[in-house]
Amino acid sequence: MTNNKKALAFYLNAVAVVLGVAGVVLTVASGLVSADNPLQNMSLLAVAGVAGVVLAALGVWSGGKGNHTPVTAVCVLGAIALYSYVYGQCILQRVVLIAGLFSFNSGNTAGWQVFYVTIAAVACLIVGALLMVVGSFYKSVKE
Amino acid sequence: MKQSSKKGLWRGLAGLTCFTLGLSLVLGNVLEANAAAIDTYLGTTSTVLASENDENNPLYDKYTPPAELLNADGSGNSKALIEAAIDLNRREAAEGAVLLKNDNDVLPLASGSNVTLLGIRSHVNLLGSSFGVKAQGAYISLEQALSQNRTDFANTIAWSVGSRGAAPSATISEWKGDEFDFEGAGFNLNQTMIDIYEKLGETYVHYENEPAVEVYDPGEPSVDEIAAVNGAYKDSFAQYGDAAIVVVARPSAESVDYLPGGVAEGLDFESGEPLSLTKNELDAIELAKECSDKVIVLISSSSAVEIGTLKNDPEVDAILWIGAPGCYGMLGIADILCGRVSPSGGLFDIFATYNMSAPAMQNMGKIYYANTSDVLTRTGGVLGFTPGAYTIEAENIYVGYRYYETRYYDSVAGTGNASSPTGAWASTTEWNYANEVAYGFGYGLSYTDFTYEFDGEPVFDITVDPETGAPNAYATFNVKVTNVGDVAGKTPVQIYGQAPYIAGGVEKSAIQLLNFEKTDVLEPGASQVVPVKVDLQYIASYDENYDNGDGTTGTYIMDPGSYYFSVGNGAHDALNHIMAAQGMDATKMVGTGNAAQAYVKEIDENFISKTLFSVSKTGYAISNQLPYADWNYYQPGEVTYLTRTDWAGTYPKSYDSMTLTNEELIDNLNGYTYTLQTDDDTSDILWGQDNGVMFYEMYGVAYDDPKWDLLLDQITLEEAMYIFTFGGPSIPGAESIGTVETYMTENAGNGIAVNLNASKDPGAPWAIPSSDPNGNWHPEVFANAPMGASTFNPELMYELGVFTGIESLFTGINILWGPGLNTHRHAYNGRNGEYYSEDPVLSGVAAMEFAIGALDYGLVAAPKHFAFNDQESERGGVSPYMTEQRAREVELRAYQIAFEATKYDTEEYDAGMRGLMTSFSKIGSIECTTSYGLMTEILANEWGFIGYAVTDIYDDVDLWTAVLNAGTTCFDTRGQSGFYTSTTLESSNLFQNLVEGVGLSADLINGDANLQLKLKEAVHKNIYAWSESHLMNRYNATTHIESPMTWWRAAYYGLAGVSGVVLVLSAAMYVLASTKKKEEI
Repeated sequence: MTNNKKALAFYLNAVAVVLGVAGVVLTVASGLVSADNPLQNMSLLAVAGVAGVVLAALGVWSGGKGNHTPVTAVCVLGAIALYSYVYGQCILQRVVLIAGLFSFNSGNTAGWQVFYVTIAAVACLIVGALLMVVGSFYKSVKE
Repeated sequence: MKQSSKKGLWRGLAGLTCFTLGLSLVLGNVLEANAAAIDTYLGTTSTVLASENDENNPLYDKYTPPAELLNADGSGNSKALIEAAIDLNRREAAEGAVLLKNDNDVLPLASGSNVTLLGIRSHVNLLGSSFGVKAQGAYISLEQALSQNRTDFANTIAWSVGSRGAAPSATISEWKGDEFDFEGAGFNLNQTMIDIYEKLGETYVHYENEPAVEVYDPGEPSVDEIAAVNGAYKDSFAQYGDAAIVVVARPSAESVDYLPGGVAEGLDFESGEPLSLTKNELDAIELAKECSDKVIVLISSSSAVEIGTLKNDPEVDAILWIGAPGCYGMLGIADILCGRVSPSGGLFDIFATYNMSAPAMQNMGKIYYANTSDVLTRTGGVLGFTPGAYTIEAENIYVGYRYYETRYYDSVAGTGNASSPTGAWASTTEWNYANEVAYGFGYGLSYTDFTYEFDGEPVFDITVDPETGAPNAYATFNVKVTNVGDVAGKTPVQIYGQAPYIAGGVEKSAIQLLNFEKTDVLEPGASQVVPVKVDLQYIASYDENYDNGDGTTGTYIMDPGSYYFSVGNGAHDALNHIMAAQGMDATKMVGTGNAAQAYVKEIDENFISKTLFSVSKTGYAISNQLPYADWNYYQPGEVTYLTRTDWAGTYPKSYDSMTLTNEELIDNLNGYTYTLQTDDDTSDILWGQDNGVMFYEMYGVAYDDPKWDLLLDQITLEEAMYIFTFGGPSIPGAESIGTVETYMTENAGNGIAVNLNASKDPGAPWAIPSSDPNGNWHPEVFANAPMGASTFNPELMYELGVFTGIESLFTGINILWGPGLNTHRHAYNGRNGEYYSEDPVLSGVAAMEFAIGALDYGLVAAPKHFAFNDQESERGGVSPYMTEQRAREVELRAYQIAFEATKYDTEEYDAGMRGLMTSFSKIGSIECTTSYGLMTEILANEWGFIGYAVTDIYDDVDLWTAVLNAGTTCFDTRGQSGFYTSTTLESSNLFQNLVEGVGLSADLINGDANLQLKLKEAVHKNIYAWSESHLMNRYNATTHIESPMTWWRAAYYGLAGVSGVVLVLSAAMYVLASTKKKEEI
């Protein structure tokens, strides 16, 4: 990494990496909270999440070397796509559970735990993706 | 713009559109995979079953709404439909409301009376249950019904608040449709009190649909709070003192119960229990006494409220039970109050002075095994139920009035320690009926008086099918009813019976309802002979120890002896007549008996053999099928069931913290009830044949017609698995027989829960278009179930079914998960509003009439919850333990009556119901869904049930193989759709934790011949039920699926499309900008 002074996008992407790590951990956790509510294709989701985090980190690294490099752009786009895939799967697989919690099954204690962890995971991943989107408009180093 | 800025812009846009593209894909997947549920909630139609309609392929020629509900061109007339609903709900309430007390003939009130309404529930009426049988949409309030004649529904939209703190919401957003005229009571109401309650409603917030609460507060303001709003409020009493009407209410709803002692602090509940009145409620009644010398109390509830104090209060002149009367039911209540209609209802349950005195109350609520965590490995499932909950139903057959009346009989007879104070709540020295009971089952007053007398001897018709041994044994009682009062009125004609009890023998209730009818409106002096046909099977007793001589045990028996029958105003009156006929000591009786209203028949082996009813009407030998219902089957001697041989010694104790020790019991609770086979030879079981038979050709084809075999062999094994796995709410589609994915079900027994303009069959000629001003009328408007039961009017019950069937044609729903048909085991069941009664005959007849009426218009009514859903607390998998006699004579008899529907059998047609929903609960240690004894032996073999038998939502999905083996025909996988694509056997997250340790897959039962045959049978029953419904209106050779562009589909398509295009463009521009920048460098 060069000694360029870091700009807004760098920091946004760095935060996105942290949120991505949290999101992936929470995603995995949401599948382990209750044996009755596992996430299907957990390993695929974990791999996709980790890949998204790695790409986001690569974006941070390459962004620190200069503004608007193709490597950064590709990494950020890939990370956004993978973050979206992971949070999308989280939502898709929990729709039935969540619909029940807010109607006939409000007493499902384990379900609420899954819900809260899932919401946290989804929030981390969405905010992480949004930070990368915002960062895409800005410079990562001061020229 | 600088090149680097442009580059940043394009990169940013690419990032943004990448995000929105991802978001749109997520949204699209979520929406499409749950399209059926989304459509219901948003009122959209995302998939539609489409067929060409021509001479060769006619549509909508099998079921049509009646002409009076259609316009001249065959389109639907929404206003006529709503007017018909208003009229029917009004009559339902007018016939179902029960007048319990009317001292000095204080009722009816004259038109033009100046009336004060008291109690906050007089202003915000309780109309339905907040979850389950809601009153949906616009309504007519009590105030309107009493004082007005027209409504625009502008300010009367019913609201609902769900169980366990769910947020309140309006049941429809607004009403912009027609105005409606009605004939009100013509009273003048005290506006001062209306204004006060309107203001107090800001603090004491109430809704038209509310649930029971475990720690209950009725939210009644105090007198001081009334005065704080308007200190001069009593000044209005002088002008509006012709009568004071106080309304008190106790709500009901799905998923939560009242609990013993579950009351909010500081409210001074009269007995410390939630169904007793609070100080503020009693103070409101005191206020009524200050206001007027005519005090009338309206009880709005679906459970027995403790009103013994009001009964005995001479200053309370009248008590009228009004249930939860539905959206327009207050019109019927007004009809009674003003005398336009004479009340004719009878109580659906006994009203004990103290509900806790019921033996059932000693074991209800949240009770858990002491060693759940040590021995139970089965988890709570996808719904997160709590494992290890149970109840010991030690009251045996003595549920509701069966307990109080039988103990009364024995106390007068001086037998069975019946007068012992054990179990008495009103006295510490004795058990006395007068103290323990306020109003009996079936009781109700009228504004006129009737006499009842048997018109000649009853006609017995007893035959046995020579081939099968199936009995047909009926007695028809012709009852001459005479109106000896001054006004016209109807009255129920209730026939009760008593079988001879032998101390130490099979338990028998001293009185039980056998059947009922209702008179026409009789003018003063007029008479009518009403025939009431009694199925003598229902006076037989189930002896679970009877040796059948063929290696089996247990069957129905008729002990030889004197059988008494009587006609009376409720169970207690009828019992008194029998006691009078038996010459029992009148001085010890509560009330008087008339021996002439009783009839005795000596029954011996020559008249009816002891084992006549050991064979069912289908010709199937009856024997014990539910041994695992009884705790003592596993761990003998640990439970004592109540017996009238010794009321004091066997009055139930509370069986809490029972310990599981028996291995079979533990295995059953853990779900190990079926062993999946993997190596069977299944080559003889045909799937995927090309027989050229399609589903649309099956309308009217008898269940046992060989054509079904051709159709069933044509289905592939995978298609059959889809139908069984997902076929509860929707048809998953089976290409081989020409069915397409179709949503077909809805909830509730008090109307169809789909807005009029959101029909699932928008292509029907009578479908109401979105442009119709009445389009957002919601058809779920009728009263809670006890109101229908209390009418004691089979014709009206039938009419309710017919109208619901008509609603289903307008809304395109061909299967209804209702009506509720469980037993009111006690008053604390939060869901009593959805179930009819504590009596199986009253419940069974009500459900049968409803379902047969609905089927006239192609609606398959599927009563729920089969069976034993005796409480909502821990309803998911709670184990109710009971004797098989109790199971059959109390819980199952209601279903038996409904499913057999013998009233409607003809030589050519075996009438019956075509649907049911199973229960979340177990029967003993076995899930109802996996009970072969319940689902196959009793339901199918004994009762001859043929049809759709769906689980409750997501229930027992881990027991897929056992559920199939038992005879349940499909799972309720509500919300899932997109079968074979977005939802598959392998991808559905409901079925990934089977008890076998694997997930569901298309090849799961490849090696299990038994399950393949069961699957074929389940699919047969499902498709047969569909073929009996108005779904067949829409099917022909051209039927296919179309996917209209709903707004939400257009939104995510649009977002994805725009995002994709901009993403590509942005990326390209970014590359271009990068290239230019390099060139600049």
